[in-house]
Amino acid sequence: MSGPFLGVLRGRGRLSGLALPVMIQFFHVYKAYPGDPPVLQDINLNVEKGEFVFLTGPSGAGKTTLLKLIFCGEKATKGQILVGGKNIARIRESAVPYLRRNIGVVFQDFKLLPHRSVADNVGFTLDVLGVPRAEGREKVHRMLKRVGLEHKANSLPLRLSGGEQQRVVIARALVNDPTILLADEPTGNLDPALTVEIMDLLTDINIRGTTVMVATHDATLLSRYQKRTVRLERGLIVSDEDGVKAARRMLV
Amino acid sequence: MSVLSKAAYFWRSAAGGLKHAPFVHFIAVSTIAIALFAAGLARGASHVVDNLLASLGGEVEVTIYLAPQLGQDEVHGVHTRVVELSHGEVTVVPPEAALLRLKHELGDLGEALSELPENPLPATLELRVPEARRSPAALQTLAKELRALPGVTGVDYGEAAVERLSAIARALSFGALVALVVVLGTTIVIVAATLQLAIYARREEIEIQKLVGATDRFVKTPFLLEGLLQGLLGALVALGGLWLFGRLLGPTLGSLFAFILGPGVNAPWVETRTVVELLAAGCALGLGGSFVAVGRFLRV
Repeated sequence: MSGPFLGVLRGRGRLSGLALPVMIQFFHVYKAYPGDPPVLQDINLNVEKGEFVFLTGPSGAGKTTLLKLIFCGEKATKGQILVGGKNIARIRESAVPYLRRNIGVVFQDFKLLPHRSVADNVGFTLDVLGVPRAEGREKVHRMLKRVGLEHKANSLPLRLSGGEQQRVVIARALVNDPTILLADEPTGNLDPALTVEIMDLLTDINIRGTTVMVATHDATLLSRYQKRTVRLERGLIVSDEDGVKAARRMLV
Repeated sequence: MSVLSKAAYFWRSAAGGLKHAPFVHFIAVSTIAIALFAAGLARGASHVVDNLLASLGGEVEVTIYLAPQLGQDEVHGVHTRVVELSHGEVTVVPPEAALLRLKHELGDLGEALSELPENPLPATLELRVPEARRSPAALQTLAKELRALPGVTGVDYGEAAVERLSAIARALSFGALVALVVVLGTTIVIVAATLQLAIYARREEIEIQKLVGATDRFVKTPFLLEGLLQGLLGALVALGGLWLFGRLLGPTLGSLFAFILGPGVNAPWVETRTVVELLAAGCALGLGGSFVAVGRFLRV
């Protein structure tokens, strides 16, 4: 693992039995909006460094909100959330940007800038970090090559297919080597072939050491990739199973 | 290295912002340019009024009336004191010369003065005030000092005319100040409104910047620089306008009004000081507007 989280991680592996540091921890977390029923209730969850976790459940179960809590897109109403050992429930507003620099996020709606080229969209993160242009260009090129889009560097996002746009978003999320990658329905708008393409890419990223959390309601993904699956229903965790178990249940 | 890269990014982003919405920024730059051009013109006009006042002050000769019983030595003593106080050119007009001048001025009626048993006119001193003391306020102070001298019975310097002129000058400066505040305030509001549009147009970009870890300062700085660039461009346009005005209309105005406006009417409209002042004012306006816009509309 690289980055500022290294020294603060103290957890232990949950499933593997090895002494793996915990990357994300939720302790009795609640999230509610005034006047509405709670979106998340009493969430307790540990995600280890380098783990791949599917977050599943029907629409409105609280998957997106849970991801947003991790990168401080929302604040928890109650409870503690530790990311890389840092309690982000008590984090100062001014420290949020520095936390986000270690978390890559893949949004369901892509959030690409339509008037900027693919390379500019991917390099956007590096601009924020103040990476010199030449170095940035090199990193962007490397990342586009990794997602198979080096030949589309100068194209505008709207000229790309859905799968290609999603790969641009993944490249943007990964270009500064984050420790965590959060993906919200990354295959929601894609056909089966592109879904496999994107999921293979996320798996490859995970193999290289990045902790990956993918929110999806696509059951075929869960059975195909057999990763740890946390199921949410009406804001509650109703099951937390390893990949084989979850896949078996999907088949049943 | 990172600081330099960020600075380069900020400038690129600010310049990109100007290119991204040229019409909106054109409005802001034009508003700043018009405000600064008007300020430059007002400044030039105030120079002319100052010169006019100074030259009028010079025309108003100060006449000092002396007590009739003063002997020649005493007159000479007062003359010396007046020169010391005013540093001006002082001429003694003895009673006989004063009577002769009056006779001459009265024409045919002047003959009646020969019937007088004795000359009723006192000796007078005529003072031509040096340039440094020609302002209405300085003249007033000088008159007060002269009146206090022993042997002086009266001082006349066309007080009413000078005071009326200085009242006009005061009203002009006050009016100009009020107009300036209104124009500057309006300009800041317009600049802020254009930047509000720029912020709105780039809301997606701002959102993504925040999501990938940009600090508030990082998001806000390009908009502040955009305002600064608007101000600088506006000032440059205003300076160009003033220079053209001076080149095209300056000589005509000078020849038309030279007889009343006196020296200084042909002074250049764009001097180094004007350049510095207008550039600084442009930056202040642009930054002021962008601070307002960023403070009010950029919720990051």
